[in-house]
Amino acid sequence: MVINVKNLVKRYGDLIALDHFNLEVQEGEILGLLGPNGSGKTTAINCILSLLKYDKGTIEIYDQPMSPDAYDIKRNIGVVMQNVAVFDELTVYENIDYFCGLYVADKQTRKKLVAEAIDFVGLNDFTKFYPKKLSGGLLRRLNIACGIAHKPKLIILDEPTVAVDPQSRNNILEGILELNRQGATIIYTSHYMEEVEQIASRIAIMDKGKIIAMGTNEELKMMIKSGEHINLELLNPEHLDLTEIQALPHIISAEVTDHQLVVKSSRGKNNLIAILDHLKDQNITIGKIYSEPPTLNDVFLEITGKELRD
Amino acid sequence: MQVYKAFFKVIQKNRGQILIYLVVFMVLALLLTNTYNPPQNTDFSKVKVNIAFINDDADSLLVDGLKTYLGENANLVDLPDEPQKLQDALFFREVEYILRVPAGFTEAMLSGQDVQLEKTTVPDSTSNIYMDLLINKYLNTAQTYTTYMPGLSQADLTQYVDKDLAEQSEVTMISNGSHSANAEKSGYYFNYLSYSMFAILILGVCSVMLVFNNTDLKRRNLCSPIRSANMNLQMILGNLSFAILTWLVLISASFIMYGSFMFTTTGLLLLLNSFVFTLAALSISYLIGNIVKSRGAMSAVANVFALGTSFISGVFVPQELLGDNVLTIASFTPTYWYIKANNEIAAAVSYNADNLQSIFTSMVLVLAFGVAVLGVTLVLIKQRRVEA
Repeated sequence: MVINVKNLVKRYGDLIALDHFNLEVQEGEILGLLGPNGSGKTTAINCILSLLKYDKGTIEIYDQPMSPDAYDIKRNIGVVMQNVAVFDELTVYENIDYFCGLYVADKQTRKKLVAEAIDFVGLNDFTKFYPKKLSGGLLRRLNIACGIAHKPKLIILDEPTVAVDPQSRNNILEGILELNRQGATIIYTSHYMEEVEQIASRIAIMDKGKIIAMGTNEELKMMIKSGEHINLELLNPEHLDLTEIQALPHIISAEVTDHQLVVKSSRGKNNLIAILDHLKDQNITIGKIYSEPPTLNDVFLEITGKELRD
Repeated sequence: MQVYKAFFKVIQKNRGQILIYLVVFMVLALLLTNTYNPPQNTDFSKVKVNIAFINDDADSLLVDGLKTYLGENANLVDLPDEPQKLQDALFFREVEYILRVPAGFTEAMLSGQDVQLEKTTVPDSTSNIYMDLLINKYLNTAQTYTTYMPGLSQADLTQYVDKDLAEQSEVTMISNGSHSANAEKSGYYFNYLSYSMFAILILGVCSVMLVFNNTDLKRRNLCSPIRSANMNLQMILGNLSFAILTWLVLISASFIMYGSFMFTTTGLLLLLNSFVFTLAALSISYLIGNIVKSRGAMSAVANVFALGTSFISGVFVPQELLGDNVLTIASFTPTYWYIKANNEIAAAVSYNADNLQSIFTSMVLVLAFGVAVLGVTLVLIKQRRVEA
């Protein structure tokens, strides 16, 4: 096992940031740690990295207890922090070389690793640039290169795509999948469910310092009652009476927002015919019909009663 | 040595501000020390007092002897024996001392009676005391002869007194050193150096520490397998190298200006003292660098600390002119002890156990400041390593 966290408790005064937090990460997987802002993701990562003292619990990495002095364990970890942590006074090349040099002493090996990292994040044309001259996306790529240049076995990425444009975000996500294909175990924290769905082989959903659900994307969606969502675009929804639709069996909710009727029903039972009949009876004209599978937001909503992005 | 290398890259990016201090100091130090004129030779020179000698007694060999003796040690000014003119002469400082020999003086002296001469002087004049000493010396010598050799003729008496008073003691100078003008000039230069040294070190060290103490970078570094002791060591080595480099640049000007003088004992002691001060200033800069949080605060602290300690410790105003309270406060800064040692080195004509002990005591105190502050800084760093 790569990471084994048991009953981790971290308090900030009266606030419990981590409440008996448990986590197991297996070799070769991408674990997505998903949760809204303030759910405790970064605190958990900081505790795992021994950057924060915790009140209770145990943390083991590669079956060894993790501590600030566990230098042999740290040698195998690559860290990409939520905030970009690079030297403004060093060029792109010098920054990657600096962080790689903290892990790899041999100059020749380091030179090769730095070149590979630059190539990997696509910063070849910017090696002599200072960070202040880079765009947000390029800066994030530099941050990632600094964290992975020494080819670690375990990579922890804490919200690496915050404030990044969609194109750069896709590049970063593809890069993470490539690192995983090369053999790295990855922990990826984010509050963007689409990202986690896209890359994680297993997802842990956090709220209020606890993991409230864990499993693969499919397993998580199977945990909830809600099935597919039926979306109906209505041309004249002004006189629509939802009472009869909401009263249909297996219907969880039916809401109209901006000419859009969204009906959520229990898994496998969508009552589509009955809904269409009711709309026809009320002389409502339908423009378009489509269905969506449940999302991780639905999972979160059903478990906590609030939206993931609250 | 990643941290060590990064240290100098950060310094290099901040070299503009550091170079301003360096260039301004160099120019100012060169101007100030080269326009400074050491005081003129203040060796002793004999000055004669203007006096008036009025004799109300009959002319005698004894009175003549006294007059001649006084004439050898003072300027005799002829004045008419009129009270108004004598008073005016005193008032306008034509004379500072009027001696009146009363009638019967010779006879009284020869018969061994007490004799009282009359004098009129400028109030609170030092020449008054000087003349009293001369007159008493002559009369006491004469009285000694009349007491122990009664019946001595006036001619013999004056001859003996003249002979005795002509006796002079030979004085041998024990000190064999000569005080060089370079000693004082270089003393001034090294005094000014403390201000620049402090400002440059605070700016340089703080600019690096601000970067390395940035929360995100610090956390990122803590994730790495580099031991904190190793990281601290590299950081201290970087600081030390930077300080020594700054010291070498600053002292290089002294070699250009004073040449071979810097290889004399005085020159070498000044260099040693400045090196010891550099270590203490570095230590304090390291502490400040671990406390300040922004570039604005860094510049403010560099100016306030470097200027403040320089003012109260006697860099710009000599310590002799500063008040006791100011000096007491200043004695809690290494600059005070550095300047004190510098002044003692520059003023010393030769070196003996006493002045060397005082100089080295000051240096040890400066070093002790450095060690104590470094200890506090390392404790501070250790406490901050893992946030609670």
